[in-house]
Amino acid sequence: MKRHGVTGVVAVTAALALAACNANPSGTASAGPTGAVTKGGTLTILTASTNLNLDPAKSQNLATTTLGLVLRRLTTWDIQPGKPATVVPDLATTTGTSSDGGKTWTYQLKDGLKYADGTPITAQDVKYGVERSFAPELSGGLGYHKGLLVGGDAYKGPYTGGDLASIATPDSRTIVFHLNKSYGDWPWIVSTPAFAPVPKAKDDPQKYGNDPVASGPYQVDVNQQGSVLRLKRNPYWDAKTDSVRTAGPDQIVFQLGQDTTVQAQRLIADSGKDKDAFGAGFVPPAQLVQIEQNPTAKSRLVTSDSGALEFLALNTTRGALSDLRVRQAVEYAVDKKSVQVAAGGPIGGDLATTLITPGIAGRVDYDLYPAGPDGDVAKAKQLLAASGHATGLKLTLLVQDDDLNLAYAQAVQQGLQRAGITVTIKSEDEDAWVADATGDKGDYDLTIADWQPDFPSANGNIEPLFGSSEIGGGGFNLSRYSQSQADGLIQQATGETDPAKAQALWAQADKRIMQDAPVVPLLYTKNSFLHGSDVQNFFVASFPAYPNYLKVSLTK
Amino acid sequence: MRTARFIAGRLLSMVLVLLIVSALTYLVFFLLPSDPAQLSCGKPCTPQNLAIARSFMGYDEPVWRQYLAFLEGIVRGRSYGTGPAAIHCAAPCFGYSFQLAAPVTQLILSRIPVTFSIAIGAAVLWLLLGVAAGVSSAVKRGTLVDRAAMALAVGGVSAPAYLVGLLAILLFGFTLNMVPVNGYVALTENPVQWAWHLVLPWCVLAVMSAAVYARLTRAQMLDVLGEDYIRTARAKGLREWRIVGRHGLRNVLIPVVTLFGLDLGQLLGGAVITERVFSMQGLGALLIDAVGNLDLPLIVGITLFSAFLIILANAAVDLLYGAIDPRATA
Repeated sequence: MKRHGVTGVVAVTAALALAACNANPSGTASAGPTGAVTKGGTLTILTASTNLNLDPAKSQNLATTTLGLVLRRLTTWDIQPGKPATVVPDLATTTGTSSDGGKTWTYQLKDGLKYADGTPITAQDVKYGVERSFAPELSGGLGYHKGLLVGGDAYKGPYTGGDLASIATPDSRTIVFHLNKSYGDWPWIVSTPAFAPVPKAKDDPQKYGNDPVASGPYQVDVNQQGSVLRLKRNPYWDAKTDSVRTAGPDQIVFQLGQDTTVQAQRLIADSGKDKDAFGAGFVPPAQLVQIEQNPTAKSRLVTSDSGALEFLALNTTRGALSDLRVRQAVEYAVDKKSVQVAAGGPIGGDLATTLITPGIAGRVDYDLYPAGPDGDVAKAKQLLAASGHATGLKLTLLVQDDDLNLAYAQAVQQGLQRAGITVTIKSEDEDAWVADATGDKGDYDLTIADWQPDFPSANGNIEPLFGSSEIGGGGFNLSRYSQSQADGLIQQATGETDPAKAQALWAQADKRIMQDAPVVPLLYTKNSFLHGSDVQNFFVASFPAYPNYLKVSLTK
Repeated sequence: MRTARFIAGRLLSMVLVLLIVSALTYLVFFLLPSDPAQLSCGKPCTPQNLAIARSFMGYDEPVWRQYLAFLEGIVRGRSYGTGPAAIHCAAPCFGYSFQLAAPVTQLILSRIPVTFSIAIGAAVLWLLLGVAAGVSSAVKRGTLVDRAAMALAVGGVSAPAYLVGLLAILLFGFTLNMVPVNGYVALTENPVQWAWHLVLPWCVLAVMSAAVYARLTRAQMLDVLGEDYIRTARAKGLREWRIVGRHGLRNVLIPVVTLFGLDLGQLLGGAVITERVFSMQGLGALLIDAVGNLDLPLIVGITLFSAFLIILANAAVDLLYGAIDPRATA
């Protein structure tokens, strides 16, 4: 899962394709110009990153951004505006067939799949790709599979540890995974980068990330660290085997190390080749204001429906906060409207009440603490009085020291002050904050964090933030919330292989946890992106709140 | 013999300074409440994954042992991990950046062309502009030329690089469309485009730094012009330009060269803000990224390289003194 979102999503549905060729449909904030996919041209992506490592073992890319253009995985995401994200087959024929109560998952590769060098993609290559993700030399990527595969805990990768017996490849098109527990979200797990095929003969762990053997519609043409990454077409990619990539542009050029302000200015100016470009980074607040005054640029601004969950975690193990009534009082006292203002107004995010974020399948909208946008101070005072903390309650709020988090903290501080709770803000840089908030000690009363899952399942919203196993030791259960009933629901939902039943269980867990008020959901944050006037099919759906690189094309 | 002893002494002190700088950088870094292994740990970062990453990167050793391993790497090279996937960093190994998956030496070398292109061009420009403005101001003391030049100088000294850079991009890049707004083209690829892309950063840096040189040159020149030997030169009937250019400027240049050496040395170590604004990936941008990513080997490497350049510039200035003013070597 992710504290800051990554990815993005677009989708060109048949309906949108038919609606075709015109600017933003009014009222659809999340959609850029849409139309049938035109082939050709060079799409430019402006990014502040200076190094794009394309090694699947080291990557934390989501399925719909850079790596997805070059590498396919067993499954991938189908993401369309206004619809929840779904998992769909990519290299595999299905999203997975489970047996043994969800502990064994089997996949068949599609027929005729080839790499950019014309050699066939095999199940052994997928197994090898997964195995190398265990190697310490290649650490840094998404590794949800590491703790789930039998023997994964002790395995050190193929370079020194041989092969991993829990991944079987009975033939060149079949791959079987043996898990140490039932895991219903395994189809999502195999959409992470480590499940991209890597031919063993081509593996050079130190250099593979510069130019991996492509299985997607593009392959690396030029990769100059700090300057440019240019992708060209992979002649062996077959559109008939790929339901999510449209592969419009002939070339895709990533201009690296672009200052975000200059990026936005270039896209506002929209001249020359910048008409064929979009910015991978959020539009900075100052440029958002500038764009608001510029109707032409405004028509090219795309804002997501929702992004990460911004929340206030209440440390349930600390003093007064161990009393449910005090936590409930905080739920009522927080002024979410002020937090939204701190985020830049409605363009910065919508007020949140649930743990599962919009765009995740199975989400049920509810509000257990209906206090209105600016809180219910009277109700909060009443609860505090009942708990014996009518006056004199003092809490420390641990927060990252960037402008936005400090603004959120001040909004929370002022909101709680109205109910007589004195909040002292303790700010730290990001690394120190991560160490303190996720460490074993938990020396804080409150903290503010944001969270977006790495794969769009309710599991990603709930387990990392509220499972007992995620307290301390680098885990993100910042409320240090431990409740057997909630843990039971999490365990049950995790093991459920029927998606509909699992979703119902996650929705149940969402409400159950909020009954204990371990966090105050503040906002479903929104991200804004800008694109040039010749860029087409540029959308940002509910999840993830990033543009979908796989669908973007050019008008000519 | 004397020169050889001088050079040997300078080299020894240079090595000592670099050792102290590297030791201090290591120490400061380890006092920070952060764990660089966490950024290479992957997600989810379980205690087990963190321990593996820490051990592989060598951060599980005591700081003094890590420092010794670093020094040994410079002389003998270094390996991380074992088996066929082990990372080898050949001598002189200034460490390995796990974030960028490359040896520090290689990363620094790859960024040098960008930073040197920015720094040398800008330095030549600001030296010419600054000295010319300072001399004109001193010669035309109290006139409109003097006041205008000094007002511009105050403006240049006071303006933040980030603001000037962005305003220059907005005006000359976006509004007037005269020059490219950002990016770098290698000199070997296309010399004309190389210069064309660098015009704006050169000018921005030059305008800001020239201000200091203009004020310094003016003050020095005014002092010099009041000296007896200048009066003598005038009494002998020498032309004013000859008095200023040959007798005055030579003396003025000594402090200017000292400052120039230090400034150039510092800039060659990375024009941090200018590189960032103009999206040029030089040493400054590399350092900023390294600090943001807690990339210790890279931070130490760039810090050492910057310190080396400043020391080198100082030595060059010492040598230049002799050429400008023979009294200095007497």
